[in-house]
Amino acid sequence: MTNILQELSADMAGVVQHTRDSLVRITNGRSGAGAGTVWSSEGLIITNAHVVQRAAPTVVLPDGRALPARVLAHDPQRDLALLSVKASGLKPLALRDGQKIEPGELVFAVGHPWGVARAATSGIVIGLGADLPEAAATRREWLMVSLVLRPGNSGGPLVDTSGRLLGVNTIMTGPEVGGAVPVHVVKAFLREATLN
Amino acid sequence: MADVLQAVSAALVETVAAAEPAVVRVDARRRLGATGIVWSSDGVIVTAAHVVERDHDITIGLAGGQTAPATLLGRDGAIDLAVLRTEARGLRAPAWAEPADLAVGGLVLALGRTSDRLLATLGIISALDEGWTTPQGGQIDHYLQTDAVMYPGFSGGPLIDAQQRVAGLNSSSLVSGLNLALPAPTVRRAVEALLSGRPVRRGYLGITAQPVPLPDVVRERLGQETGLLLTHVEPRSPAEKSRLIQGDTLVTLNGRPVRSLADLQAVLSGEQVGERVPAKVVRAGAVQDLNITIGERGQAAA
Repeated sequence: MTNILQELSADMAGVVQHTRDSLVRITNGRSGAGAGTVWSSEGLIITNAHVVQRAAPTVVLPDGRALPARVLAHDPQRDLALLSVKASGLKPLALRDGQKIEPGELVFAVGHPWGVARAATSGIVIGLGADLPEAAATRREWLMVSLVLRPGNSGGPLVDTSGRLLGVNTIMTGPEVGGAVPVHVVKAFLREATLN
Repeated sequence: MADVLQAVSAALVETVAAAEPAVVRVDARRRLGATGIVWSSDGVIVTAAHVVERDHDITIGLAGGQTAPATLLGRDGAIDLAVLRTEARGLRAPAWAEPADLAVGGLVLALGRTSDRLLATLGIISALDEGWTTPQGGQIDHYLQTDAVMYPGFSGGPLIDAQQRVAGLNSSSLVSGLNLALPAPTVRRAVEALLSGRPVRRGYLGITAQPVPLPDVVRERLGQETGLLLTHVEPRSPAEKSRLIQGDTLVTLNGRPVRSLADLQAVLSGEQVGERVPAKVVRAGAVQDLNITIGERGQAAA
């Protein structure tokens, strides 16, 4: 016999576990680490441009293997980078694209905040847009979330209650407010990257 | 997978959507817009006083993106409340929750509208307590605090409970660093006062006081644990004119127990200004009856 809080808690843990399977760690030599999100089973990894400070970063996969990565595309404007590692059988997340993202939705972030490996935080969607307070100056579209992000979260996945990718965690604008680059912006970046 | 989690998330989205028509943008300051709540369908809007930086050229942004001009009906800076009127029609006023309907630990959403779109944060009611007095001397019927993040521009907007009622009007500037909300009775009283054209009045005695335990004999006789020890009585104040003296312990005022400063502030809520009301004080160990004329807090009396 379980009560509704126990069910909720088990559901939340399930989503986090599922999402962790698509989370990687990206290191730049001795200087800190960021996060990355598996984009394809064949070794494409998406992360923030600001996480990739070297031409040859190292990607640590969910199974612990550390592999050298190639930087295929780097877009400081959108703060996105596309990496590739020689691996197969990786687990990309389903994309949440097209369906409108509503304020109030529950969301989860996983990453390595302050270096704490594969840590999760939860919160809700504040809103989506290019004209939100604290983000208007960037003139870019953000998915703002009421959720704790810290250094080391950058590049990691933000997911909905079905574990679908909503965006790439990128900025914190306050102690309990963060911003993710929405999935449709990631897709636009990838379209340009493959055209080039 | 994740049935309960998805149901909870969907219910949160639904709660935000249900409140959407009641949440308006208030453009009355230079930089960032702020938020307001539809008070009545005839165009009265409540918001936080500190976001209304100008008295003219105020615009309201409605759900759906329309805008309408608004006029400032009045403000009470001491409780950070301003009341506006707009000519916009078809507004829907939300139901409010009374403090007795709320409980610490209950889920709440804070909503804001700084542009066309509605924004939301989630938290719980962190504290719900008796009345308190703001640093500016405003009386608030219940202390209501949340841990929901106050995103920029959320001041003046609603805190919404799980029953989709307005639990309070958010203000991030009542006390710096705390996310506090004005409960329904406080907003209602202030709106009624401002709409009736009466200035908001606040009772005033001219004392400095602190709660102290009552002597055993008094405690047994009055069934009350504490009273207010007068540590200072202002010269020529209503208290002095009513013959209160330093060292008295005030125990009742107008028939109501005065156990704390909050009790006193609740009695001095304004209706009694100018009235002569009965009081009991402990003086030299004995209970004495007095009559006290309550003054009005003005500029001279801080």
